[in-house]
Amino acid sequence: MVDFPVIALLVLLPAIGAVVVGLLPKSRNELVLPITTAISMLPLAVALYILWEFSAADGAAFQFSESVVWYEPWGIGWNVGIDGISLLLIVLTAVLFPLSILASASVTKDVKLYMVSMLLLETGLLGVFVALDLLLFFVFFEMTLVPMYLLIGIWGSGNRVYAAVKFFLYTAFGSALLLTGIVALAVMYGNDHGSLSFAFQDLLTLQISSTAQTWLFLGFGIAFAIKVPLFPFHTWLPDAHTEAPTAGSVILAGVLLKLGTYGFVRFNLTLFPEATVDFAPWLAGLAVVGIIYGAAVAIVQPDVKRLVAYSSVSHLGFIVLGTFALTSQGLQGGVIQMVNHGLTTGALFLLIGMIYERRHTRQIADYGGLANVMPLYAGVFLFMAFASIGLPGLNGFIGEFKILLGSYLAFPVMAILAASGVVLAAIYLLWAYERMFTGPVTNDANMGLKDLNAREITILVPIALLIVLLGIYPKPALERIEPAVENIIERIEDATGHETPEFGDMDDLPAATGGHSP
Amino acid sequence: MNEIAFLPIAAEILLLGGAVLILMAAVTLNLGPRTWAIIAGTTLGLSFLVAWVQWWRIDDVGSQIHYTGDFLRTPMVVMDYFSVFGGGLVIAAGGIALLGGWRLVGSLEKRGAEYVALVLLAVAGLHIMVISANLILMFIGLETASIALYVVAGFTRDRPDSDEAAIKYFLLGSFASALFLYGIALTYAATGSTSIYGPTGIVAFFAERAITEPGVLLIGIALMIVGLGFKVSAAPFHQWAPDVYQGAPGAAVPLMASGVKIAGFAAMARVLTVAFDASISDWAQVISALAALSVVVGTLFAIAQSDFKRMLAYSGVAHAGFMLTALVAGQSGVPGLWFYLGTYAFQLIGTFIIASIISGAAGGASPLDSYRGLAKRSPVLAGALAVLMLAMGGIPLTAGFVGKVGVFAAAIDAGYLWLAIVGLVSAVAGLFFYLRLIVLAYFNDPDPALADEPITAPRSSRLALAVCVSFTFLFGVLPWPLLNLTSEALPL
Repeated sequence: MVDFPVIALLVLLPAIGAVVVGLLPKSRNELVLPITTAISMLPLAVALYILWEFSAADGAAFQFSESVVWYEPWGIGWNVGIDGISLLLIVLTAVLFPLSILASASVTKDVKLYMVSMLLLETGLLGVFVALDLLLFFVFFEMTLVPMYLLIGIWGSGNRVYAAVKFFLYTAFGSALLLTGIVALAVMYGNDHGSLSFAFQDLLTLQISSTAQTWLFLGFGIAFAIKVPLFPFHTWLPDAHTEAPTAGSVILAGVLLKLGTYGFVRFNLTLFPEATVDFAPWLAGLAVVGIIYGAAVAIVQPDVKRLVAYSSVSHLGFIVLGTFALTSQGLQGGVIQMVNHGLTTGALFLLIGMIYERRHTRQIADYGGLANVMPLYAGVFLFMAFASIGLPGLNGFIGEFKILLGSYLAFPVMAILAASGVVLAAIYLLWAYERMFTGPVTNDANMGLKDLNAREITILVPIALLIVLLGIYPKPALERIEPAVENIIERIEDATGHETPEFGDMDDLPAATGGHSP
Repeated sequence: MNEIAFLPIAAEILLLGGAVLILMAAVTLNLGPRTWAIIAGTTLGLSFLVAWVQWWRIDDVGSQIHYTGDFLRTPMVVMDYFSVFGGGLVIAAGGIALLGGWRLVGSLEKRGAEYVALVLLAVAGLHIMVISANLILMFIGLETASIALYVVAGFTRDRPDSDEAAIKYFLLGSFASALFLYGIALTYAATGSTSIYGPTGIVAFFAERAITEPGVLLIGIALMIVGLGFKVSAAPFHQWAPDVYQGAPGAAVPLMASGVKIAGFAAMARVLTVAFDASISDWAQVISALAALSVVVGTLFAIAQSDFKRMLAYSGVAHAGFMLTALVAGQSGVPGLWFYLGTYAFQLIGTFIIASIISGAAGGASPLDSYRGLAKRSPVLAGALAVLMLAMGGIPLTAGFVGKVGVFAAAIDAGYLWLAIVGLVSAVAGLFFYLRLIVLAYFNDPDPALADEPITAPRSSRLALAVCVSFTFLFGVLPWPLLNLTSEALPL
């Protein structure tokens, strides 16, 4: 399509930016924020160019592909490409970074290191979404770990060291299994073809026995399940989210968690179709447990940031449920919901960060009646809460609707149980809103709080616009996601004889949850 | 055949000559550390150059085995890519380690010359281990290096723990050497040769006949594994390492830790994958058990340490386990082993240089608490420490990650998936203590008593550290040149 290596540019820009920021003179710390913000606009520009040039008509094929062999004996190369699944996640990443960098004005300690970490994190995340070489994917996957660890550990609050180490070790444990799986796949390819290969397209041609698929699925799956995090691997998340600085939470919830769900969609479903069909009911079941458990725990949180953190467990459960429904609707919903959750939860964390900067507390009980002193802030918060609940007309609705629709076809009972998560979401968010914003001002310390300033409005407006846009006109996004998703479903059907339930043949389905059993 | 081939042993000649020159310069001419530095630097530099010349020579005429004179015709020295790569690595590691610890030489005054000479002798001994084609010569190299290092371990005689370290190292080390020698004797009994190559060598022996009752041979192999396992501090032969690393003069530890590992593993690879390649099914299981044990024991004990050097000693046990993991694949694991060994050696040297900056060049104990808030006291040192710790933990974009991939790919390819899983899970557990250093350095504030005390590092240490860190980072991002080199560095 284009000969210019636009993906390489996209991925490397933040890394180059990190070097530039790192070289800024120590005495000019006040320059760091504006320069980093400017630098982070560059990948956004490239991402928008990619979005513009991306052709929905090309179907499931990877676009902007680049393939350069790096090291022949290991069969590793710079194999990258973008399809409908990764496209929106790339744009989401590129959008959230400038915003969260701009939201980091209150960081005063080691600003340079902070911004360098942010930019390196961006390179890692963008790299994950474009990588079509498993070792390359792993390198980027792991590359996100260290900057996030530093962000939580140095600039976090309260129990930050514990949270940072817990985050790192949990994820690294998953990574170890993932790496074993990746190397084993490459070796299997080597046994068949005489030379190792880590290239995704090569590995797709492998015939893997059912036993091997089971183990490899587990190796990949546990790594991604920890990242998502799927119940019962979620315990690192509330700590990491709560203690991370605002930007860290935004990126963590907005993008980092998606590495897990993206990994499931990109690798587990395509490389191990048989095992996917076998495991799908189990994962869907865990997802439903996560949806309800996360929501129930969120209701009783006294700390609003922790509340949103647990809501992520619930929301990510929806995405996993949609993914493992193995229906086109469910998968589409899962992919679009990755973006939606990134926007809404990212915005909620930004909002919490803004109020925390003013009051240095996240306890819901310390607030009350804020709508009187900060009407604009309260309005935006309510808007984001509605988006998160999935109010029709806002983005969350589209995703959750599609997920529930798609999963009802495959697992009717689970879909019905999952639907209760939507109700619970309304409870925890609106109840929190009620306690924090409505009524008279209960705490005198809140009397003099200033409403949103120009910088904060600048940060929130783009997100709000995207939420409305995706809510009322999601067609362009879905058009791009659909072919890639259909391709995955077809692949599973071809490989396993599994039949994806369609609308219209509902009568053929057993009434219980065993939609995939032969 | 009457001509003596000097090229294969040029490095030894240079190193021994350098050692003698330094002693003469110090004793008879009364010249100071500057002269020693020039002599040692030139010697090591020239020896390293010799490695390049040897590599080109092999490119031209192929690998060569060099024999003793016409009478016995016993192969002694082999010049193949394996020995040249390993030899070059030993010299480079020795040079960087000496440079990083040069401050110790200054503080030792007159005895500094002895120290430098001993280091050169040790490097020569290690080099012999790598290039020898004969088990007896290998043993001589091992003893040359070991005896020099026993003395170095006790060089700061005024500290009791240094004496303790030296005695411990000496007693256990001699025991291990004896076992190694006994293993050679039994191998000789079983195969009729102490040479690996040549018409009457062990390889030729196995090519011609199969041993029906391998009892004696197996005991011989086992004893050699134990002897070398001790030198590379593989569990359960590792108990000496923490005490020695902690007690020996700080600046001398890098060589003891890295150089011996390089030469020990080179010798092990040569003995096992070349000489006893025929009985790989026997020894590979033993090696895989040792590997798993080392990885697990090293990691678990490292977690419990409160002293940085002891922690590194135990983590070194775990790393020895990772390298043994490559060895289970036989010769196809050699490139992975080389990459791991080459990069880990420099990570280790760099880390011990940092330890010797924090706790003094002659100092022993290096409590973890002294790294608290290092990022505030010296950002550069803290950054270097962070990179090295992440590399040892095997995080991508450091050489440690590439090394681990190579090692585990070799093991999985050889059918040892379980070993790879044990290794990787332990590697994650290992991250706990590598991260602890980053936590201490970055997430904690310095001890108020130390906060304003600047950390001074001499230029030599900083230079050596810079080499180690950039090596680690560079071969993490662009490992291809080194990977190409290691994939060629196979034994004859």
